[in-house]
Amino acid sequence: MKKAPFFVGYLPVPRDLRVFLWIICALLVVGAGAAGYAVGSTQDNPGDGAFRFDYGRQTVTGVIELTPLPLLHVTEGNDRIPAGRTLMMTAGGKAGVPDRAAPLEGQLATVSGVLLERGDLDMLQLRGGQGGLRAAEGDAPAVTPEPLGRWKLTGEICDGKCLAGAMRPGRGLAHKACANLCLTGGIPPVFVSTQPVEGAEYLMVTGPDGTAMPDAAYDRVGQFITVEAEITRHGDLLVMAIDPATMEVSD
Amino acid sequence: MSVKYIPVQWNPNKWYYDAALLAGVVLFLWVFIYLTPGALGHDRPINPQIHNARAFGACAFLMLTVILCIGPLARLDRRFLPLLYNRRHFGVLTCAVALTHAFYVLNWYFAFSATDKYAAVLEANTSYGQLAGFPFESLGIFALLCLLILAATSHDFWLKFLTPPVWKSLHYLIYPAYAAIVGHVALGALQDQQNLTFAWIVCVGAGLVAGLHVAAALKEQLAGDYEGGGGDWIDICATSAMTEGYAKIAQLPDGDRVAVYLNEGRLSALSNACAHQNGPLGEGKIINCLVTCPWHGFQYNVTNGRAPAPFTEKVPTYRVRVENGTVMVHRQANPPGTYVEPVPLPSAEGAV
Amino acid sequence: MTGGEFIVRLAQIWLTAGAVTGALFLTIGMDRIDEDARGAYVFRPLLVPAVLLIWPLVLWRWFVLETGRDNWAARHRPPRKQHLVVAIVLAGLILISLTAGLMVRQSWPGDVAPEQLTRAVGEGQ
Repeated sequence: MKKAPFFVGYLPVPRDLRVFLWIICALLVVGAGAAGYAVGSTQDNPGDGAFRFDYGRQTVTGVIELTPLPLLHVTEGNDRIPAGRTLMMTAGGKAGVPDRAAPLEGQLATVSGVLLERGDLDMLQLRGGQGGLRAAEGDAPAVTPEPLGRWKLTGEICDGKCLAGAMRPGRGLAHKACANLCLTGGIPPVFVSTQPVEGAEYLMVTGPDGTAMPDAAYDRVGQFITVEAEITRHGDLLVMAIDPATMEVSD
Repeated sequence: MSVKYIPVQWNPNKWYYDAALLAGVVLFLWVFIYLTPGALGHDRPINPQIHNARAFGACAFLMLTVILCIGPLARLDRRFLPLLYNRRHFGVLTCAVALTHAFYVLNWYFAFSATDKYAAVLEANTSYGQLAGFPFESLGIFALLCLLILAATSHDFWLKFLTPPVWKSLHYLIYPAYAAIVGHVALGALQDQQNLTFAWIVCVGAGLVAGLHVAAALKEQLAGDYEGGGGDWIDICATSAMTEGYAKIAQLPDGDRVAVYLNEGRLSALSNACAHQNGPLGEGKIINCLVTCPWHGFQYNVTNGRAPAPFTEKVPTYRVRVENGTVMVHRQANPPGTYVEPVPLPSAEGAV
Repeated sequence: MTGGEFIVRLAQIWLTAGAVTGALFLTIGMDRIDEDARGAYVFRPLLVPAVLLIWPLVLWRWFVLETGRDNWAARHRPPRKQHLVVAIVLAGLILISLTAGLMVRQSWPGDVAPEQLTRAVGEGQ
């Protein structure tokens, strides 16, 4: 052991040690590059959700319904968002529009903003103030939800905005705190079902009997769970009123 | 070692060390950030903020893993000691990389909200009662705080001011920090990614850190320094066991370690703990009549424990005597810098 | 005030106390207790972050050195005995963290189909 070359930091490196240290350096530097590639190139696909700024600003009119989070049943649409569509809505950032929409419940409103789109899921991010959401003239047709019975679904609760493309990836456990922050801000929670339910892969989540998503569900955001829910069809959107007592982490 | 403090004491080896360090870090980040997006082939790219957060996070994890391997490797094989020499620069850079990771996360996942982002990261997820979905951010915050304390106290001033034992104890924070980071990754990234490549890298890296630490600690335990006992004069070794220019280390009854040197045929004893960072002086060797620490090359006159001028460091000395072919040391240390007359080692013939 | 805001406030108070300590220590205290610091000013800004973080420790050491209570022998007693304990605890924690993380790890249960439990009231049987 005592014959080992003795390294003193401020003196030249002993000859015997030089080769060893060069090899270590080379291994570490090359290893760093290889590790960067290995980790970086094996990240999961975040999906195709995105802000559709390329569509331009969307302005449509429809009836506001509170579930309690607001939905818009489009009565006067455009090429992208035809009449008959049901839109979930969000404000800019991690905030929903419940306070702005609540006074207009059951009335016609004109909304304007940018669309977020992921497969069948879409959501409109409204502009601020009157430009984003204002009462519209005319008689509002009645909105009648259609009950579809009680279901047991497997999937994941996400915040609808990040999932729809505000963040890529916008789901999963690494994103859980962000999702909670969005949900407490009033952004509609969305359930991603393992397989389509009556044709829908994405369902909006509420609590039982017209309440908001229960607090207990926040502990399960981002996890793969099984839950029982009363499902109702609101226009072309399915809303699931989950029963928190039946919520279980899936195997 | 300078008399007056300066921000960083550079020398050529430190330049090489830092150059290799920077090359590795820059290569990792460049490959991850600029090369891999093209290789991923996703429909739409991962958000740059998230991609960057992952790059810096993974980089910090790997850097810390390498850093933590250096200590036990150097104890198992002395050829790794040069990696220990400038480890503090490695640590400071790791802290900067980890901090960058935290800023990307904070300004993306926790921004754009009515809640203050610093408060949000602490309270957005409070599912502390479960493993999956555990607020793993809190483990990361704890580890980052530890890294900040370590990086901030890395200047030699802190060693002298806090004393090496307090500084060392403070820097033991690296161990809870690493454990927290493994938890942070295990309950965060590993839960999220379906692809297992990163999980494998984490398991191998963290496993290596765990294995090397246990191996080095066991080696130290098994080969433990000879523990002298008895009265005031403690037996160290047979005179025949001494080697010119090197020391024999022994543990005294009060737990302190003494290093007895043979220099030009005469015996002298110093505390085994270097005044700089309590490095094992006795594992060093005598260069030009000066005991040289194997960690950072601090030097002391073997007869009085004083660093050569203009340096001012001092270590305690011990009285030595030889009786019946046995080297003995008085258990009571002399105040640092006390001259002790070296004791001639009886010639081989005389000792028999 | 929420829990998070409370912790942020505490952190602000801690850092403010650190700033006050730093202002005193780096201008007055250092020169009194460390001769190597006299006339050396360029390196002092480097010390600011540490004072902000560990100011109680700074105050304690300042007090010890200022009052001549420093024990020279204690400077040469490295905490080496803890190596084995630290190594075993660290290895244990790493093992537990990784095992726990891998055990609760989920894969997307894509093969589980939705199941209708009851039909809606009024819906045809």
